[in-house]
Amino acid sequence: MSNRSVEVSVIIPVGRRHVPMAALHAEYRAGLDRTKRSYEFIYVLDGPQMDAAEALRDLQRRGEDMTVIALAREFGEATALMAAFSHARGEVVLTLPAYHQIEGSEIHRLVQSLAHCDLAVGRRWPRAGGRFELLRRRAFHGFVSAVTGVRFSDLGCGARAMRRRVLEEITLYGDQHRFLAVLAARQGFRVLEVDVRQSARDRFEGEYRLREYAHRMLDLLTVIFLVRFTKKPLRFFGMIGVLTWGCGALVILYLVAQRLFLSEPLADRPALLLASLLAVLGLQLFAIGLLGELIIFTHARHIKDYQVEEVIQFARTSSARPPGEAASHAARELVEDSPQLSPRA
Amino acid sequence: MIAKNEPAGTPALSIIVPFYNEEDSIGPLHAALVAALEPLGLSFEMIFVDDGSRDATLERAIEVARADPRVRVVRFRQNRGQTPAMAAGIEHAHGDVLITMDGDLQNDPRDIPLLLERIEAGYDLVVGWRFNRQDKLVTRKIPSRIANWIIGKVTGVPIRDNGCSLKAYRGALIKQIPLYSEMHRFIPAMAFVAGPRIAEVQVRHHARQFGKSKYGLSRIYKVLLDLLVIKTVTSFMSRPLVWFAILCVPAFICGFSAFAFTAFSVLTGSQAPSLVILGTGVLFSAAALIALSSGMIAELVYKLGDVREHEFARLTARASRNHQVLTPTGGHP
Repeated sequence: MSNRSVEVSVIIPVGRRHVPMAALHAEYRAGLDRTKRSYEFIYVLDGPQMDAAEALRDLQRRGEDMTVIALAREFGEATALMAAFSHARGEVVLTLPAYHQIEGSEIHRLVQSLAHCDLAVGRRWPRAGGRFELLRRRAFHGFVSAVTGVRFSDLGCGARAMRRRVLEEITLYGDQHRFLAVLAARQGFRVLEVDVRQSARDRFEGEYRLREYAHRMLDLLTVIFLVRFTKKPLRFFGMIGVLTWGCGALVILYLVAQRLFLSEPLADRPALLLASLLAVLGLQLFAIGLLGELIIFTHARHIKDYQVEEVIQFARTSSARPPGEAASHAARELVEDSPQLSPRA
Repeated sequence: MIAKNEPAGTPALSIIVPFYNEEDSIGPLHAALVAALEPLGLSFEMIFVDDGSRDATLERAIEVARADPRVRVVRFRQNRGQTPAMAAGIEHAHGDVLITMDGDLQNDPRDIPLLLERIEAGYDLVVGWRFNRQDKLVTRKIPSRIANWIIGKVTGVPIRDNGCSLKAYRGALIKQIPLYSEMHRFIPAMAFVAGPRIAEVQVRHHARQFGKSKYGLSRIYKVLLDLLVIKTVTSFMSRPLVWFAILCVPAFICGFSAFAFTAFSVLTGSQAPSLVILGTGVLFSAAALIALSSGMIAELVYKLGDVREHEFARLTARASRNHQVLTPTGGHP
């Protein structure tokens, strides 16, 4: 049974926030049946989620075919996704939240959208929620699009369908699952937002605490750095460093000139302390930028600037045939590409 | 050194051509390449890199590849620029000698034999020089002249035309040179760490026939920054700690003199010791210390990285034993 090849691998990371598994599983399964494709379920327990583990064991006992991976501690949803992905066999990977976000009956629309793109992310629409909620979401997505240059309107939606190679190329960790769409778009994958009906039970019971916001912002900072400056650290650190150093140097020059020509003693000029602090800080920032460049330079062979979609070469056939005929016998060598799923647009 | 008519296995020559929106050039270029290379009697392959073109470049390239099994098409998912395209081409090339050129028909494939001649004469890197350049004077030629002069001065590799894409390399050497960002202009400078023998050859340059140029004046700023990076990265290479130590000398002098001044005023009692001066001294000494520790980190980075000086040294060295020439790179006898 486990050797059977499947088309869709469904990954469901179960974190602290989850609903009873049995009902959810039934809903998702009904939704997947509508896709008319073979599928497998992979549940990842992110940390010891006792009740969910128990419920899943029950389901397995009742003959449900599923893989359950229990992580030893809470690693975060993105890490859980990656752990599950290493067990996934399908050409299409579908991630679903462990709580109600979208109607299960909408799943097939995500999977079908892959005919036109590499990653289809759900957008809950029409969306419930108060005015403050709306404002908060707008601000977050506006900020994300301002710094990364790609516009999305529901990064929080956990329902995403993607081709296998998206996760093969993008390594996520911690809480970066929210930014999968952003990172994939930056890698040149075609990403589509697909409107899906929001589940009537999609409510966030808790409240967004300050810590939650701080976490989001820090994640965003990481993403900014990852997409913007990984290849050119000196452009970032060097510029700030030179500016800081320049300010400091100017003030020092000014003070020294006053000392030399106007005989104002340096000893009681606190501005000198500030100026030298700036100069020193500038020097340090510049040194950090240089170190960054050194790391890039020495590891350039592992950090690829480009993504090769495919390599095309037609096989050499016997030399007696004219080139035109040879082509019809040629086998096209495809790398990293699945012919049946990617009709050339 | 260049194997003649090798039936299978690695070809003697790999021609690497990046294309970006060059649907009209690809066919004529392929024809010109074949016409120029077949008389040489060498085995060769052509690697066409499609840098995420938005026109029919890819379709044309596939047509060409279908008719000619020596053509390999490497397709990028999205446009990445000329350096990554060249880096990808180099990665997918198997030849003993690699030749890069532009996809816009401005370089002439008939010059390739000239480059090969120099490689056979024992050079590791042969750079084309567009002595009769067919481009606009003010926006292209003058900035390029200035840039080449600066690059030559800074890197110590006085090449008249760094921007010419038509270059020939010994494959084993160029595969070891890190190529990223917009560094293709600096390949000679980057390669210089390996101590290669570099030759310049005058090559023909044609005016653009199809499409339009993809460059403007705006790149100068980036070129200058990249130049600074290359200079530091390549000169730091053998002893980063020393370079960082040199960086920290001025800071150390400032700090030390501030301490000396304070000590002097305390000992002689001529002046009350000043907190400002002392504080400045502490700051600058701290800066010196931090620069030194950065140097140590830099040593560590080089040690763990995969750019190895001895590897370069081995690649360009000529070894002989009892009048018998040993060349590890399959270089020239």
